[in-house]
Amino acid sequence: MTNHPRAQGESRSILAGPFDAEAETTAGVRIEPGKNYGFFTDTTLCIGCKACEVACKEWNALPSEEGKLSGHSYDNTGGLGAHTWRHVAFVEKSGPEGVRAPEQQPYQSSWLMMSDVCKHCSPAPCLEACPTGALFRTEFDTVVVQQDICNGCGYCVPACPFGVIDVSADDGKAHKCTLCYDRLRAGQEPACAKACPTDSIQFGEVEELEQRASDRVDGLHRQGVENAYLYGARGSPGATGGLERLNAFFLLTDDPEVYNLPLRPSRPASRAAPSLAAGLATAAGLMAAAAFLFTRGHDHE
Amino acid sequence: MSNRRKQDIPTYYDLPALNTPHWDWRVSAYIFAAGLGGGTQLLAALGELLPRREGQSISRKGRYISLLSALVSAPLLIWDLKTPRRWYNMMRIFRITSPMSFGSYLLTGFGAFSAMTALGQWTADRGSRLGDRLARLAQWPAALFGAGMSCYTGALLSATSNPLWTAAPRLLAARLAASALATGAATLSLGETLSGRRRNSSRLEGIAALATSASLFLSLWSSRLYRRKGVHEAMEEQDIAAREKAALLVGHGVPLACYALARLSGRRSDTLSIIASLSTIAGGYMTRDAMLKGGLRSSRRPRDYFYIAGRGRD
Repeated sequence: MTNHPRAQGESRSILAGPFDAEAETTAGVRIEPGKNYGFFTDTTLCIGCKACEVACKEWNALPSEEGKLSGHSYDNTGGLGAHTWRHVAFVEKSGPEGVRAPEQQPYQSSWLMMSDVCKHCSPAPCLEACPTGALFRTEFDTVVVQQDICNGCGYCVPACPFGVIDVSADDGKAHKCTLCYDRLRAGQEPACAKACPTDSIQFGEVEELEQRASDRVDGLHRQGVENAYLYGARGSPGATGGLERLNAFFLLTDDPEVYNLPLRPSRPASRAAPSLAAGLATAAGLMAAAAFLFTRGHDHE
Repeated sequence: MSNRRKQDIPTYYDLPALNTPHWDWRVSAYIFAAGLGGGTQLLAALGELLPRREGQSISRKGRYISLLSALVSAPLLIWDLKTPRRWYNMMRIFRITSPMSFGSYLLTGFGAFSAMTALGQWTADRGSRLGDRLARLAQWPAALFGAGMSCYTGALLSATSNPLWTAAPRLLAARLAASALATGAATLSLGETLSGRRRNSSRLEGIAALATSASLFLSLWSSRLYRRKGVHEAMEEQDIAAREKAALLVGHGVPLACYALARLSGRRSDTLSIIASLSTIAGGYMTRDAMLKGGLRSSRRPRDYFYIAGRGRD
């Protein structure tokens, strides 16, 4: 194996090779198939550096966005999509009548930043909508699109309650966060969580993260941040309407809508049966009436 | 406690909270063709109830038109895919939670049984008793699949997170079923008028009038429900409202006026019948296109979504 020209002159790594279970060192998590993994994104710790966005784009080799300034604070990305799997939202808040309040509460008092991501819902609406089986649940309880199967029907796009998944105009397939499926298989922490300098993005087993998150909420409440709450953890806003929990969940300090999240999303698949039943009943009713019209017509002859 | 006036719900720079599918007129046309084929296949089955020669005339046309609509709708669906060469992956799994999945099987079954009815009919027309038996044997399963085709697309739109499509899941499918029967009856009525079977045409007009009235009633009912659920504003945006109004006028107003006029004048008019049929068919497409485009617009309105997903009543 020859070295890359840029690597020539560099001393060889003292490490024999990649770690077997790197996530144990970087996140304190041993990644094993059959367990549930996810993200706990603590927005009170986010400083809006967008290292997660960049790390995600780099690791997953996602195309860059067309560079343009949105005028929406520091957010020039806008939202999640086929080529954006982490998105940092920026909300600048002011006090009453647009004037900054003289007293501020601790942690993100007037500037909210939040790194949004696919929620890897359980059950997952995109997966339940997918007619090809391209979307599947992995051995790590995450939801991934198999690129060699997706045929770009686009049904997962309106199914997603959070505007995450989208079909790329470039290749005609649906794309979204894979929770770094390839890295998990190699025992590595997802790129965004590893890159996050403040541990706003924490990777781990969902049950453990939920415990850590609930402790964090209690701690914040004690510190006077009374509006801190979890979004997407079991039994909290976001995990509603048949969505039992979001494997990627958040700690927020304002209404979910402020971060572009619905208060009570619901599972789309639960609407299919009542809708179909009503349609069939209407068809049956009209057919019965039609049969009556037909038979009445020729009885008189 | 979580209830809030819609205008008081915060948004994130008014940016959409949902992504919007790429669906265009091809999807509207598919929903239309699926409904029309389903409707004609259902009515083809009803032909059995009529005296033999008259019934057979309706069944024959119904079977051919159903096959034709299956042959048109399948390519439309494939054409709409962003990676159409992988269309066969639709048959890779069966997923009951996905109307897109079970709909693909409905379309397959509908196409297969419609082909059997049409093939049976074609050979029967050339004197084959066996063909007649085949057509009649395949007729009932074909009609059952036709019933599914007439309205499953309502379940498909409802089983999403789209504010407009999810506001009234039952009414959406019911509207499609009613409109499918209306367009099916109108198409067959047109065929019977053109082939000089006026009594059959009048019978079918009765069904078309009934189904069109039902469709109109359900449309007005769903408009009320959209208002109550706070998702009506997408339909009130100028271009969408124009589509909706045109669909109501062409699909419901004109045909019902034609039927009323014919009834008042006391005698059958082929001209009025043909106008009513063509108008119902055109309106059937326009209704679906307004539904689709209204939904696409609705998904770009974050407040509509936030209102229906937690902030509104029930």
